[in-house]
Amino acid sequence: MPVSKEYLLKRIILLVVVIFGVLIITFTITRVIPAHPELLWAGPHATPEEIAKAREELHLNDNIVIQLYYYLVEFFKGDWGVSWRTRTPVLAGVLSALPATLELVIVAFMIAILTGIPLGIIAAVRRGGLADQTIRILTVLGASVPVFWLALITQLVFSSWLHLLPAAYRVDASVALTTGFHPITGFYLLDSLIEGNLAVFVNASEHIILPAFILSLYPMSLSSRMTRALMNEVLNEFYIRSALAWGLPRRLVIYKYALKNAIAPVIASLGLSFGYTIVGAYLIEIIFVWPGIGYYTAMSLLSFDYPAITGSIVFVALFYTTINLVVDLVHAWIDPRVKL
Amino acid sequence: MDRSKGEALMSELKTTFKMIKRDLVSLAGLVIVISFIVIGLIAPYILTKPNDAWGLAYHVKEAYKPPSTYHLFGTDEFGRDMFNRVLLGTRFSLLISVSVVGLALLIGIPIGLIGGYIGGKMGTSLMRVTDMFLAFPPLLLAIVLAATLGRGLANTIIALAIAWWPWYSRLIFVQVNSIKSSPYIDAAKVMGLSKFAIMFRHVLPNALTPVTVQAALDMGSAILEAAGLSFLGIGVKPPTPEWGLLVSLGWQSINRAWWISFFPGLAIVIVVLGFNLLADGIREAMDPRLRKAVLMKGV
Repeated sequence: MPVSKEYLLKRIILLVVVIFGVLIITFTITRVIPAHPELLWAGPHATPEEIAKAREELHLNDNIVIQLYYYLVEFFKGDWGVSWRTRTPVLAGVLSALPATLELVIVAFMIAILTGIPLGIIAAVRRGGLADQTIRILTVLGASVPVFWLALITQLVFSSWLHLLPAAYRVDASVALTTGFHPITGFYLLDSLIEGNLAVFVNASEHIILPAFILSLYPMSLSSRMTRALMNEVLNEFYIRSALAWGLPRRLVIYKYALKNAIAPVIASLGLSFGYTIVGAYLIEIIFVWPGIGYYTAMSLLSFDYPAITGSIVFVALFYTTINLVVDLVHAWIDPRVKL
Repeated sequence: MDRSKGEALMSELKTTFKMIKRDLVSLAGLVIVISFIVIGLIAPYILTKPNDAWGLAYHVKEAYKPPSTYHLFGTDEFGRDMFNRVLLGTRFSLLISVSVVGLALLIGIPIGLIGGYIGGKMGTSLMRVTDMFLAFPPLLLAIVLAATLGRGLANTIIALAIAWWPWYSRLIFVQVNSIKSSPYIDAAKVMGLSKFAIMFRHVLPNALTPVTVQAALDMGSAILEAAGLSFLGIGVKPPTPEWGLLVSLGWQSINRAWWISFFPGLAIVIVVLGFNLLADGIREAMDPRLRKAVLMKGV
């Protein structure tokens, strides 16, 4: 395994530092910047006693370092506060929103990989030709379109005008209720298959197509651009040129030898964009009323629900940094050329 | 910079420009970017309905008019001409993108330079801070900051710049590190130049070019992210005709009047596409193999 112990240690230390950085940032945002956080905490119609109680609960009577200490202790105990909007614990709220977001992002990545990598190969093999130019414009376009705008427009066209696809939610309540659908894992596509509930599976698939397609545009253009660049590089290597010179079939050389050497960095960069895409899903979830983490965060932002805002942001930041660490390690594991 | 170096740079730029000119796609990108800048600069002076554009006028009878020759992009719920709103929006997008990228460079360059050239305890700790920021999802950081600072043009710019600078700091750091050991820096040291003279006269100018090119091309992404913040309701405040905000304002009436959201969004697509096509063209042009082929052909 080409991952050195020092590197691993360095990354884990960085992970810890980032977690503390995030916590200090969120602490500052909720406890220091608002002039009277106890008023926000106690809610708009609080009595003076409730406000005094809130001050006590937030430890506002103590000095700032002790406040930070309490904040960190409560965080690691899993006590992330109660959302003012939903009146439920923030950690539970965030965790229950996670499967919806993950399902959306995973489907989007499947679309991205299945379209982006073949497009990249075609572009590399036909470098400079018409196919290359067309793919180039399409992939650059995919990275240039504001997702929220595309979401609104496709929603308008495919559901309001053409009535082809549903405009919102993960599944129609009527279909779920009549077939007695009970989510197990929270991944509806998976759950409906486990339960053998085909009606819900079809219905949930119809719901996920538009948001997942729009979300897939960025990783799709990324993987296509990366595949093209890396294939171009590999196709110029001596071992590929000599393989061709020996008269091996071009198809075999491209798909077996070249692709194998070009693909690992593509997968790695896709993995690194996974965390980014979760944040990118925020706007899409809002428009498609997709009850994931982005939707949760946005609703909290709109209602100035501070515990929920900070809780969801800390959670996504943790998720993002952990995924990036795992991707880097796995990449080094499978690709012997990478030295960490 | 001495003369021969200047000449080398000029010929380098000339080759790049030649390659862009040869490539219709990146030429289109260049044309879009230049038009965007020009329109952004002159927009307030060419408005046909300035009060509509600035959001000062209300014509209730003209509300929700579809696109026509009189209202090229239709009108919004207050009867304001969308073409004029979008046109003026160009200026705000230009302002946001230039300020975000400029501010990010202003923070990122010194930090990367100190981290890379001076080093020591201060340099190392600055780079650790950079790493920490890089490990935080950038868009999320911008969202948190924008939500905390409150709505407004300046706050949006600050939030995005703070999420953005670590990338430039890292880029400068990498550049400086590779330049640091070049023979001409050793020569300058031998000649007895001071550390600061070397840093500002020799290291910085050579590290700056790739970073500034990158930054200029990042302006498209800055527009995209600022629009996203405005759409979330934590960016600029109405009635500022920023494109993302215009799309968001048209959302509630999209089934009745699609044009209110459609045209501002299209403007974003075109401008960001322009920047990205140009960036793509430049990257392609920088490919040494291709560059050699063009030089040999002498096109």
